[in-house]
Amino acid sequence: MPLYQYLLRRVIFAIPLVLGITVVAFLIANAIPADPINANLPQSALNNEQLVAAFREKWGLDQPLHVQYLTYLGNLLQGDMGVSIRTNQPVLDDIRQFLPATIELATTAIVVGLLLGVSFGVVSAVWRNSPLDYLVRVFALIGVSFPVFLLALIGLSVLHAQLGWVAGPGRLDFLVQRPPHVTGLYTLDSLLAGQWGTFRNAAYHLVLPSLVLGLYVSGIIARITRSSLLEVLNSDFVRTARAKGQREFFVIMRHGLSNALIPVVTLLGVLYGNLLAGAVLTEAILAWPGIGRYAYRASTSQDFPAIMGVSMLIALIYVIANFIVDLMYFFIDPRIRYA
Amino acid sequence: MMKLAASTRISATSFLGAVLLLAGMVFSLAQAEEVLVIGHAEITEAYDPAHAFNPTSGMINRVAYDTLVTFPDADASSIEPLLAASWSISDDGLVYTFHLRDDVFFHNGAPLTAEDVVFSFNRLKYMRAQPSFLADPIASLEAVDERTVAITLVDARPSFLAELCNTAFSVVHAETVRANGGTDAEDAGETDTAMRFLNQTSVGTGPYILESWSPQDRTTLVRNPDYWGEQPYFDRVIIVNIPEAATQRVALVAGNIDLATDLTPDQVVALEGNDDIEIFLGPGRWTHFLLLNRDPEIGGPVSNPLVGQAVRYALDYEGYRELWAGSVTPGSNMWVGLAGAFGQDQAVERDLERARAYMAEAGYPDGFEITLHYPDLTWAGVGLSTNAQKLQADLAEIGITARLLPGEVQVALEGYRSGVQGFGYWFWGPDKLDPIDFLEFVPGGKVAGERARWTEDMVDDEIMALIARAGVETDPDARLEIFAQLQAYAQQDSAFVPFNVPAVQTAYSATLEGYLWHPQWGLDMALLSRTN
Repeated sequence: MPLYQYLLRRVIFAIPLVLGITVVAFLIANAIPADPINANLPQSALNNEQLVAAFREKWGLDQPLHVQYLTYLGNLLQGDMGVSIRTNQPVLDDIRQFLPATIELATTAIVVGLLLGVSFGVVSAVWRNSPLDYLVRVFALIGVSFPVFLLALIGLSVLHAQLGWVAGPGRLDFLVQRPPHVTGLYTLDSLLAGQWGTFRNAAYHLVLPSLVLGLYVSGIIARITRSSLLEVLNSDFVRTARAKGQREFFVIMRHGLSNALIPVVTLLGVLYGNLLAGAVLTEAILAWPGIGRYAYRASTSQDFPAIMGVSMLIALIYVIANFIVDLMYFFIDPRIRYA
Repeated sequence: MMKLAASTRISATSFLGAVLLLAGMVFSLAQAEEVLVIGHAEITEAYDPAHAFNPTSGMINRVAYDTLVTFPDADASSIEPLLAASWSISDDGLVYTFHLRDDVFFHNGAPLTAEDVVFSFNRLKYMRAQPSFLADPIASLEAVDERTVAITLVDARPSFLAELCNTAFSVVHAETVRANGGTDAEDAGETDTAMRFLNQTSVGTGPYILESWSPQDRTTLVRNPDYWGEQPYFDRVIIVNIPEAATQRVALVAGNIDLATDLTPDQVVALEGNDDIEIFLGPGRWTHFLLLNRDPEIGGPVSNPLVGQAVRYALDYEGYRELWAGSVTPGSNMWVGLAGAFGQDQAVERDLERARAYMAEAGYPDGFEITLHYPDLTWAGVGLSTNAQKLQADLAEIGITARLLPGEVQVALEGYRSGVQGFGYWFWGPDKLDPIDFLEFVPGGKVAGERARWTEDMVDDEIMALIARAGVETDPDARLEIFAQLQAYAQQDSAFVPFNVPAVQTAYSATLEGYLWHPQWGLDMALLSRTN
């Protein structure tokens, strides 16, 4: 199948998926038996019928549910995600503001997790059943099962407050000025502005959060890499390669790992989506002003436009991440290329 | 290796020296600036005074703007002049005339005029946003002359001056706000677009100027060098958003921040003995109470006033005080910090014999089972589940078996506000720092009427007459007397059982001086300074 056909098919599949997500998110957000009036107006303001009516009218809450949905969908098709009830800003602007912090965090975490996880997985598979293998497996188990927010808090208390090895909460030291906004990624923006000090500080602040989240990712990746590599190393073509007298390192890296990484790549798409959508607690503990906090606050105040916006965003991230994964398959797995 | 020519080496050295010198100068300049860093769980969506109504915006706008009148630094015991040098009230209590100071300038250098006050208050009223209800009592505003404002009220309202102390009544520079999309016209709610501008800067008259705000990240204030009052100590204040109390504690201990506003009681206890940290502990503004629905179909046994009395005498008030360090027992649902409120010395004390006698008189000598609804959350460091378990144990002593039913906050809130909870556990912070706030908890009040179905026909005419007088009486002594009578009545017959006011706890660097907590704006940063 040619690449463009493959891509087109993926894009077409994504459209009903995203539409379906808008329906589900809308229904769930409205199924909560609570009134956004209560969440967004102070107690004394509830006495004022004019204020309450004005609020309902402004946010379309006086319309039947299907009208609300169709209005939302119509606006969405024109690129308008609505205005957040809470922040009074267009949801798209809010997302632009909070997403970069999360992207910066999730991306470094996935890189850390991938490097650690694959290395551990290879060590564990190559020296199977050795003490090293057991050590790595225990480490992977801890990484997967230890609550991330607790790890963040321990990291902050010990590595930062007591030992001073890593930076404290926030994206920058509190006295350091933010770099001029270009992408919203502080590391990149500070480089673009030539602010080396700010860049170092931003990178320093990424160490603890990316280690904490990376540890969780690496636990999963190490386990998958180990089992996958063990399977590949026992296959016929690896035996052939060894019989041909190739060096063991070459056999493991070229024939073993490159084939064993296919399930890891599959996992990466899901993990990256998880990191972007699920870092709420880590963001709270590390005072990281990301999209997780925004989503949490939107849901607790029944800010429908924001809830819908974040749901759409997360769905899109999953779709895009898996799209990229599919694309990578195309290059790394000949069976797809020639199917 | 290539060798540098001597002259190149010299100029390179000179250049390096110049850079180092410059860096040193910049460094020493930076050092000379006094900066205060506050760790705070930010919960605001706006700093525009006509939109913002929450603790974060109250704290920021307290120093970025001024109001006509204000409270003393640490309590709400009296009304003090601020932008208004003096004022008078007409005999019928309807017209308030304020005479403005003549030495006040906005952050942009423009002088304060009566027109700015009229614009600010009309804009608040017509914005129909969160704090707009505070301007409901205002019928009209008039700039009598350059420095005189007359405010006419819809009805006489003895609490009006106290309400004017709210930062929602901050005075903005009308011309600048208009130039940035603001309006005080009746359709301001639809047409005013100045919020974005006022979220990023302040055009007020306060001791600090809002320099920038990155939502959920940090707010920066710089000193107003032309402030009309006493100059604040710090050149710059950075308020960083640290949502988790545990992180605030770590940041404070590590020296990342100077002050943590949102610690929990157990964290404060853990900080005791640390010489580098000072702790402030005082009664907070949230009254925790039980709601007993008076509608028999909803409340069942707790709708019976005698059961209400039994519950009142069954609670182990001292136990809640021990549970939450620094907390107090309120004598009524009027916030304990208000003048005339029944405090701990006038509060009901536990008397199990009396409680059991009330149960028997009500026809429940063997008790009954009931569901206790409450929101599943931790508020200002107090876990409602912990209190609910203690309530369950206390009530078991008089035979009441309470099944605990924690609910997701918004869902539980819906049941509470629509009046369908028979037996509930909630908390209340006053919207207005005036005894009038207590009228929410008497028949006809919002909380009493709608949430507890405690209606006017359920009490004597005499009490209703007293309630009616409480809303309009202007004589301070007579007011105190009326509210004392109403609170005493509530201890005999009420749909509410207030049981604890948890402490507010703040921890800060021992190098800071001047810390005071205020029930209206929380922290006044302009009062803080640093010792060497």
